[in-house]
Amino acid sequence: MNVHVAPLFPASSESGPAVVVSNLVRSYGRRVVIERLNLRIERGEFVALLGESGCGKTTLLRALAGLDTIQGGRIVAPRRPAVVFQEHRLLPWDNLWRNVSLGLQASNARERAAEALTEVGLGDRLDDWPRNLSGGQAQRVALARALVQQPELLLLDEPFAALDALTRIRMHELVRELVANHQPGVLLVTHDVDEAIALADRILVIRNGAIAFEHRAARDGSTSISRAELLGELGVTSHSPN
Amino acid sequence: MSNIELSQINRTVIATDSGLPSQSSDRSLASTSRLGARGLQLLSWLAPVLLVIIWESLAQVGWVSPQVLPAPSKVIRTAFKLATTGTLLNDLGVSLLRAAAGFAIGTAVGAGLGILVGFSRIAEAAIDRSVQMIRAIPFLAALPLVIVWLGVGEAEKIFLVALGVTFPIYINTVLGIRQVDPKLLELGRVQGLGSLQLIRRIILPGALPSILTGVRYALATAWLALVVAETIGAQSGIGFLAMDAREFLRTDVIILTIVIYALIGIAADGIARLLERRLLAWHPNYGAAR
Repeated sequence: MNVHVAPLFPASSESGPAVVVSNLVRSYGRRVVIERLNLRIERGEFVALLGESGCGKTTLLRALAGLDTIQGGRIVAPRRPAVVFQEHRLLPWDNLWRNVSLGLQASNARERAAEALTEVGLGDRLDDWPRNLSGGQAQRVALARALVQQPELLLLDEPFAALDALTRIRMHELVRELVANHQPGVLLVTHDVDEAIALADRILVIRNGAIAFEHRAARDGSTSISRAELLGELGVTSHSPN
Repeated sequence: MSNIELSQINRTVIATDSGLPSQSSDRSLASTSRLGARGLQLLSWLAPVLLVIIWESLAQVGWVSPQVLPAPSKVIRTAFKLATTGTLLNDLGVSLLRAAAGFAIGTAVGAGLGILVGFSRIAEAAIDRSVQMIRAIPFLAALPLVIVWLGVGEAEKIFLVALGVTFPIYINTVLGIRQVDPKLLELGRVQGLGSLQLIRRIILPGALPSILTGVRYALATAWLALVVAETIGAQSGIGFLAMDAREFLRTDVIILTIVIYALIGIAADGIARLLERRLLAWHPNYGAAR
């Protein structure tokens, strides 16, 4: 709907939601996974979606990405969202800039890919191959590939789950920076409570296919909710003194 | 009780295994490194070179009749003579042309059917069973039938080569397309690729290693088919040269043709390897180190 012409990743001047989901129903056969779910994500808003395995959070993300058919309800998004998966999913037969520009309809694809790679700190590796990258670097390329499409909605499906703790923290900083610069709406699916607290403006807990808990961070970005509280919402009772 | 004992024994065995690096393997590693890679390379050539020398000297001394096994030097002289005054180069050209034509036709048919079946479940249901049934026939067994259909001309030879090539190409094309990582296909959809782009950017490159494996198999069968086809009722070609030589007990020519078949087989395999290295440079198992 909205037509953006260069510059790369323009900070969105218009307001309006990145996605609106209403009464979404998704079922596999007779088993209903998502039951009349409503969700609205603004541009520039960072939403984390928590939930135990099998609660339907990845199902929701896949529905938003257009990867699954839905059985009811509506998803309204201004344009195709970008997705970063848990695995980097780089094409091993293409070098980095070709990977980043995959699906990009532009005559200056290499240039745009170069800018995106520079943004994630890999601007000097344009012609390198995916197999020469570490796990964290590969995931940064995947981020560049998502952002080069100038998405208004960015879907992150546990993108840091396979990384080591230190790399994960660096990736958190990078993602926060990128999202601040480009202002897409973000839906982060994770089961890492600390990650949700560290990154999100709004934390949702999904249970039995519906949103069971919602917490909004304060304006200054500080999150008042405690780890234990969130874990409690996830059905984990913590016995530690802290 | 005995179970517990057993598991304890197992554990101790594992413990010693991991605790003490096995000494015998260390020693064997040391002995290979002493020779070095070049030394091993030389050693691997030693046996065949010795064999040729022994063969030559036995023939020179006269212990082996030249009717049975002519000396290597004699074979080389024959090669020169046939190449300069005879029809060797012409025959070689005819054979290569047959192989190339059959290979091209077989590849086109095999890859075409393979792509169709690889992409479409309907095509698979319609075609695959029949192809698999025909494939169960050793294709050389069809030779008498092919001769009845096409006679003993060029068509029969090219057909037989094509028949041998079609199946390895077909099977590996289907396999390659089916083995493309579904996660990458999903990524292609997320990135907004159309069907054609999906095929060009993801499916074909993903299937290529398997397809090239098929090409290598096909080259081997093509060659085998050609030898058989040319042995029966050919008027020209390397096989004709061999059968003609048999009439006159020219063992040197026969050996020459066998060597030529071998050399061309090696060359074909080399070309296939080169293709793999070029096209699969990205692949850790094929590409040259970067």
